[in-house]
Amino acid sequence: MAELLLRPFAAIGNLTLAGLESMGRAWRLFASAAVSIRNTDVWMPLLLPQMARVGVASVPIALFIATFTGIVMALQASYSLTGTIPSYFVGTLVGKTMILELGPVLTGLVLAGRVGANISAELGTMRVTEQVDALETLAYDPLAYLVVPRLLAGIVMFPVVVLLAISIGIAAGWFTALQLLEMSSAEFVKGLRIYYAPWDVWFAVIKSLSFGAVVTGTGCYCGLQTEGGAEGVGRSATRAVVAACMIILCLDAFWAAVLL
Amino acid sequence: MERRREVLVGLVVVLGIAAGVFGSIWLKGGWRGGQTELRTAATSVGALVRGAVVKFRGVTVGSVGSIEVLPSGEAVMVEMRVLEELVIPANAAVLLAPESMFGEWQAEILDRGEFGLPPFLDYPEEGVLPGAALPDFSRLTATFDQIARNLTTISDRVEVAFTEETAMNLKGVIDNVSVVSDLLSEIIAQQTERFEDLAEGVDESAQELGAAARAARISFEHFDSLLLGADAEAMMADASAGLRNLRELTEDVGSSLGDMRSAAQRVDATFARVEGLLTALETPDGSFGRLLGDPALADGALEVLAEFRALLADIKENPGRYVTFSIF
Amino acid sequence: MSIRLREVHKAFGPKEVLRGFTLEVRDGETLAIVGPSGSGKSVLLKHVAGLLRPDSGSIFVDTHSVPDLSRKELTRLRRRIGYVFQFAALFDSMTVTENVGMGLRRMPEWDARRIAARVEECLALVDLHGLGDRYPAQLSGGQRKRAGLARAIAPSPKFLLYDEPTTGLDPVTTTVIDRLILRMSDEMGVTGLVVTHDMTSAYRVADRITLLHDGRARFTGAPDEVQAAGDEVLRGFVEGDPDLYFGRNNDGT
Ligand SMILES: Nc1ncnc2c1ncn2[C@@H]1O[C@H](COP(=O)(O)OP(=O)(O)O)[C@@H](O)[C@H]1O
Ligand SMILES: [Mg+2]
Repeated sequence: MAELLLRPFAAIGNLTLAGLESMGRAWRLFASAAVSIRNTDVWMPLLLPQMARVGVASVPIALFIATFTGIVMALQASYSLTGTIPSYFVGTLVGKTMILELGPVLTGLVLAGRVGANISAELGTMRVTEQVDALETLAYDPLAYLVVPRLLAGIVMFPVVVLLAISIGIAAGWFTALQLLEMSSAEFVKGLRIYYAPWDVWFAVIKSLSFGAVVTGTGCYCGLQTEGGAEGVGRSATRAVVAACMIILCLDAFWAAVLL
Repeated sequence: MERRREVLVGLVVVLGIAAGVFGSIWLKGGWRGGQTELRTAATSVGALVRGAVVKFRGVTVGSVGSIEVLPSGEAVMVEMRVLEELVIPANAAVLLAPESMFGEWQAEILDRGEFGLPPFLDYPEEGVLPGAALPDFSRLTATFDQIARNLTTISDRVEVAFTEETAMNLKGVIDNVSVVSDLLSEIIAQQTERFEDLAEGVDESAQELGAAARAARISFEHFDSLLLGADAEAMMADASAGLRNLRELTEDVGSSLGDMRSAAQRVDATFARVEGLLTALETPDGSFGRLLGDPALADGALEVLAEFRALLADIKENPGRYVTFSIF
Repeated sequence: MSIRLREVHKAFGPKEVLRGFTLEVRDGETLAIVGPSGSGKSVLLKHVAGLLRPDSGSIFVDTHSVPDLSRKELTRLRRRIGYVFQFAALFDSMTVTENVGMGLRRMPEWDARRIAARVEECLALVDLHGLGDRYPAQLSGGQRKRAGLARAIAPSPKFLLYDEPTTGLDPVTTTVIDRLILRMSDEMGVTGLVVTHDMTSAYRVADRITLLHDGRARFTGAPDEVQAAGDEVLRGFVEGDPDLYFGRNNDGT
């Protein structure tokens, strides 16, 4: 009986310890990766391909999402802003939400699926087929060779992709306002500008930068932790996506609390 | 392959950064050319912060650079970065006031001659513009109180100064004012539209007030044959009732629109001028009679109402400033 | 130029894989470690290359204590160690040529021309010339294994660790690889550690053979000593007799 009562607590305790342990391992990985940055000769040649993979290849999906987000934002804004509120608030709403929230976060979440899973599966396969070990025996630092270029590519390219997504999202909202909401361009722009603060864009950049580190970082971490063949690779890809999404949302709240 | 990848990465990076840089410049309202520094000193800066906008005749011309309390502690020095080519009036002053309902403040460069009222601080240093922060909303009701009291006092003093006709005219005006204020409170309660009607009502009252003033001026010439009137007394009771109405209205504004500070301050400033007018009348050589007899003062009263009208027009034009918009 | 292991213990969770393994591979010698699948042969090799850390015990390669080396020192040591992985562990994203050249590209004094020449040479050594532009996925298992071998020998290491280099290969290819191992040791003076469970191959390439049993070195001796040994477990493994190897009675208990 007592055993039965204690079991949930033991489970929670186990879970907590496991969580803390993997957090500690992740931090150790990133600390070592930070040290490995000095091996510039190893990661420098790999940075460009990774930037192409993390950034350039993500542009279409990010722009696709942003376009529809912009359209939906404009339509919903005009739907909820009825009566006394002037229609140019559609522009305000589209601009503010795209820049502050939806641009960085939606892009981050989508790229967590695209980039994070991709990295995790790739490194996971390399881990279970001993390619990571092979790198080490060939005198390569696997962190410098695998983790650093991906992490840096994420940090550099995410803000770029997000800025593009924001621009396209606002443009899509604008177009919608003109075509479907019978607003004038001047009205929409007035709404865009009326509450705009330069800090907003910095906020978006800081956010997307951290999301880039989170997505590529969890991808690398989960990938390198992979155990147990093809099934393990699939599992760690899933884990990378889930973890990255959760961390992105927590971080989003954190930045909002700290920076706004 | 390698080349293609280099080009693609470069293209995306350049596009992204261009989108960020040009987008934010465009959103800010265009590229600003060379900038120059202006300074102002005020006894207080309210809620002004670094980076707040600086406006001149309603146009954003720069931003606030730094805000520092002077070592002596007697004033605050505000540095503003504004467009180099900006030509400001010779007797320019800086009014620090809320920009919108969200409580962010702005610094407005204005011609002191056109906006004389707030007690601008003349700081004894070359190149430092006089500055003043608008008083807080709580002072508004106090001001109304005082106006009401002043009017009562004046009415006591000058109740002799009316012909029956003037009295009837003025009574009409005051009836009108209470109608207008009722309308205003209704409108504020709805937080909405219909500013047009209000503006018209104010217009009408203003014209009637003008007519009353003119009639009073004529009758002032036969001062001797004045009626001492119970009528005048009743009329003054009406006047205070109308003003009470107005005062309740402002309290309404305060409670129903907790944040409607900007509007309130504009109203505050307007009524402060009324107050100023009335205070001037209270000085030994002034009297309500002088108001009626002096065309300049009568015009001043009209001007006040015109200003009130402009405020309402502004509310109509830019409800965003006056209606709370709190999604973020 | 020797490899020395003393009392090496390694457990994964509750599973004790190495339980006091002691061994010395002499300079220039080729030593074969035999043992059934899952006995811990690969784990042992990874300890020598510093890919795994022992729970206790000491591992020396030359004068270096492998578990105590800093990252940098370990990297330097690894340039002198070649490792042939059990499943080749070729980099999927690279061609065979790029794979073989990987280790050479870490050497500052090697330019692209010299690397290309050396890669060609190594591919010829393992009978893979002409396949340099293929990706690992386009190779057969045997070809992959040989490519992995070429990659390991390309930087001319002083130590070579072979993890089942001939397992799953046809007899002809097996002979090619065995000859290559012999050649590495004879011509280059390489110290070799060959993990295998193919006794024919072990007899052919090894100066001495060690049986890994129960986490320890059960028996070590030259091939003729192995053939003459009376140890039941060793005989059980060599002859492929489970009853002898697992020490069961004839009635199967
Ligand atoms: N990273 C690891 N985690 C857990 N167990 C492992 C790990 N590596 C090897 N093992 C276990 O150690 C034992 C020996 O493995 P291995 O050395 O690969 O055997 P073999 O002799 O066939 O090469 C196996 O039972 C395997 O399950
Ligand atoms: Mg093995």
